[in-house]
Amino acid sequence: MTSFTTFYLSRIIGRKAFDSGGSSLGVVKDLLILMNQSGQSFGRPYVVGIKLKKGKIYATYSFEHFRVEKTRGKIRVNCSQLVEVSAENINEGLFLADVILDKQIVDLNGRKLVRVNDVRLVSVSESTHVIAVDIGIEGLLRRIGISRQLKFLLSFFRIKIPSKFILWDDVEAVDYSNLNIKLSKSYSKLQTLHPSDLADIIEELGKKSSTEVFSALDEEKAADVMEELETETQVHIIETLSVEKVADVLEKMPADEVADILDALEEDKAELLLKEMQVDTSEEVRELLEYSHNTVGSIMSTEVLSFSENHTVDEVIHELRIKKPEAEELYNLFVTDDRDELVATFSLRDLVISEPDARIGQIMKPSPVYLFDDQKIDDIAEIISKYSLLAIPVVDSNSILQGMVVIDDVVEDLINKRRTNK
Amino acid sequence: MLRNRFIFRRLGLFLVILGPGIITGSVDNDAGGITTYAVAGAVYGYNLLWTLIPSFIVLVVIQEMNARMGIVTGKGLADLIRENAGVKITFFIFIGLLIADIGNTTTEFAGIAGSLEIFGVSKYISVPIAGFLVWILVVKGTYKLAERIFLIFSISLLSYVISAIMGKPHWGEIGRAIIHPRIPVNTQSLAMVIGIVGTTIAPWMQFYMQSSVIEKGLKMKNYKYTLADIFIGCVTTVVVAFFIIVACASTLHVNGITINEARDAAVALKPMAGVLASQVFAFGLFIASIFSATILPLATAFYVCEAFGFEAGIDKKWDEAKEFYILYTGILVLAMIIILIPNAPLIFISLWSQVINGFFLPVVLVCMILLVNNKKIMGRYVNKPLNNIIGWSAILVLAVLSIALLVLPFFN
Repeated sequence: MTSFTTFYLSRIIGRKAFDSGGSSLGVVKDLLILMNQSGQSFGRPYVVGIKLKKGKIYATYSFEHFRVEKTRGKIRVNCSQLVEVSAENINEGLFLADVILDKQIVDLNGRKLVRVNDVRLVSVSESTHVIAVDIGIEGLLRRIGISRQLKFLLSFFRIKIPSKFILWDDVEAVDYSNLNIKLSKSYSKLQTLHPSDLADIIEELGKKSSTEVFSALDEEKAADVMEELETETQVHIIETLSVEKVADVLEKMPADEVADILDALEEDKAELLLKEMQVDTSEEVRELLEYSHNTVGSIMSTEVLSFSENHTVDEVIHELRIKKPEAEELYNLFVTDDRDELVATFSLRDLVISEPDARIGQIMKPSPVYLFDDQKIDDIAEIISKYSLLAIPVVDSNSILQGMVVIDDVVEDLINKRRTNK
Repeated sequence: MLRNRFIFRRLGLFLVILGPGIITGSVDNDAGGITTYAVAGAVYGYNLLWTLIPSFIVLVVIQEMNARMGIVTGKGLADLIRENAGVKITFFIFIGLLIADIGNTTTEFAGIAGSLEIFGVSKYISVPIAGFLVWILVVKGTYKLAERIFLIFSISLLSYVISAIMGKPHWGEIGRAIIHPRIPVNTQSLAMVIGIVGTTIAPWMQFYMQSSVIEKGLKMKNYKYTLADIFIGCVTTVVVAFFIIVACASTLHVNGITINEARDAAVALKPMAGVLASQVFAFGLFIASIFSATILPLATAFYVCEAFGFEAGIDKKWDEAKEFYILYTGILVLAMIIILIPNAPLIFISLWSQVINGFFLPVVLVCMILLVNNKKIMGRYVNKPLNNIIGWSAILVLAVLSIALLVLPFFN
């Protein structure tokens, strides 16, 4: 049999289900779906249960014996046999009307939250699948019950009501309310989003969902996302999650970002987190916390690579291969003497274009522009643009290299200032 | 060093949290509110002052629920209603609110036009300029700055205190009227009472309050500061209302002058309390009107989009949030056009937008109380019995009053 029926969730909810004899079994309240099972050729979730209400009793039955049929535009739900759905399915599945309909879900292509007006399903010979969610105005009008009438009316004016669907593959539900679904599995699609987009989405979610989604991310991703979040959301998430979990995430972040976050927290909580983090990381953060606001020290990054001028290019490259530093560290390299005082700078470009046996002393740029760690932030932008730099080294009053300020941090600071001026 | 910074932060905490309640309280006394209070004072003297006491209690209780919901869920009221009540009820509520808010915005522009006419500016000049400024302010994204300026300016609402004292009120009589009001029980006086309560607790305010609580990122831990903020905001609202009524009662009512608009009050104050009192009143009216004319269309566009799932927010570009900007601009333009129609029935519009407000207020409140008692949404922060008692009795009284207001005209 090749026939198939497509229908909307809103069209069958509130409709009566009939047994083979044609008598009513109750009113359809919800559909229970199960996420794509391994070995299933269809990637889409399929309907396993149907919630009916008869009198005052709610019960969920296995969908196996139900058929949704459409004759001359009329939807009819027929049932050959009533079998209660297994407890396992109820635990692992999710109720469409309860969890998806009217809720916000993530549109993975548009990288934003959208509200679900309706759900489109298809019945093929063996099973019924969810294919798309409707987020358009037409879905809204259909729910209100004036879609057909309005369409008819507007057809005289040759106006079409825009409809908008997103395929199920491209959405991710986030608002699971109190279902005990294994979250990390459910949010797997979200891992593909860019940390900035994910951060924007998490910020827009309600408090409960934002924490749920965040805690389902793996540590690396969580650290990247945490960096991109607004302070308020950072604080909310940190205060909701366990200290251990937060400490693990913070350890994966650059020390200056961690210092900024801890700064926004309450003293006790910040101290608790510092104690939970590994000693070497927390030491670095503590040092940064000592700097007062508006000084270079408070925004500088302490992860910098410095070498002696006696090293050869080959040795440096070898060391870089072992350390595998982050991009911004890699692009800006420094030369220090045996007392850790800043001597010169050199770039990745300098390294790459030089002979392997050349000494760093030969390729470095001496007498670099630098900042003091207690200098005011306001000066940086000017210096950076004047010398067209991507990063400036930061030294303390004894000329000892402390870190560097990257153009990114400066831009961030400038944007924040502009924002608060609004 | 670390310690010092934390102590400083704690000191500043109250000032940081301060805001949603106080701003909402200030917006509360908009052109519609000032008109209602002024007319009440002119017609009934001090005899309706007592209505401010129950209004105050209900206002505090409702705003506290809003703040709590915002803090606990991090979701707007429109979001919560849509997610829990479904499309049909949401549609019904928001179409009603949209119509009421267009009417309310019109009233705000009437306030702008009226107050500037006192200073000799024609409404055909003031309304388009004010409307354009408000629009640019929001679309160009300088809204935050504007909000802060308005907040400072809203201190000028206290100018009504000056106006009132210049009118030399009889304090003894005020006290007597609050304890022992003498009002004729008829349709007009009943409508006036509903007007005062309805304008003090406008439905759109609940949505605005909850959004600003979320935007501020407030936490349950600092709840006592939030409560203080709400309390101060509500006190401000009621104090300003009190002095407007007193100002008009001690000058206009005593001399038997009746008025229809807030502007009339400013004009009428002149011969009795001096030019200054009149201009102070007009200035307060102008600030209140333009403040609300900025916030009201914005808040309306925002929660309608929130409920129906359109992108919204002034940080979005026009293309990203088309529905939002069209709605926002539409409300503004429509309100301006209505004002500029020669001989537009402004009193009729103002009255009927109040009526729609009054009609929808109990509906919104029922939604709110159901949401705030929902354990799935609020967890352990559901309402305490006292909140529910005050909440439900307020709904009951308001519903009876609203129905009375709708039904009574047919018996007249």
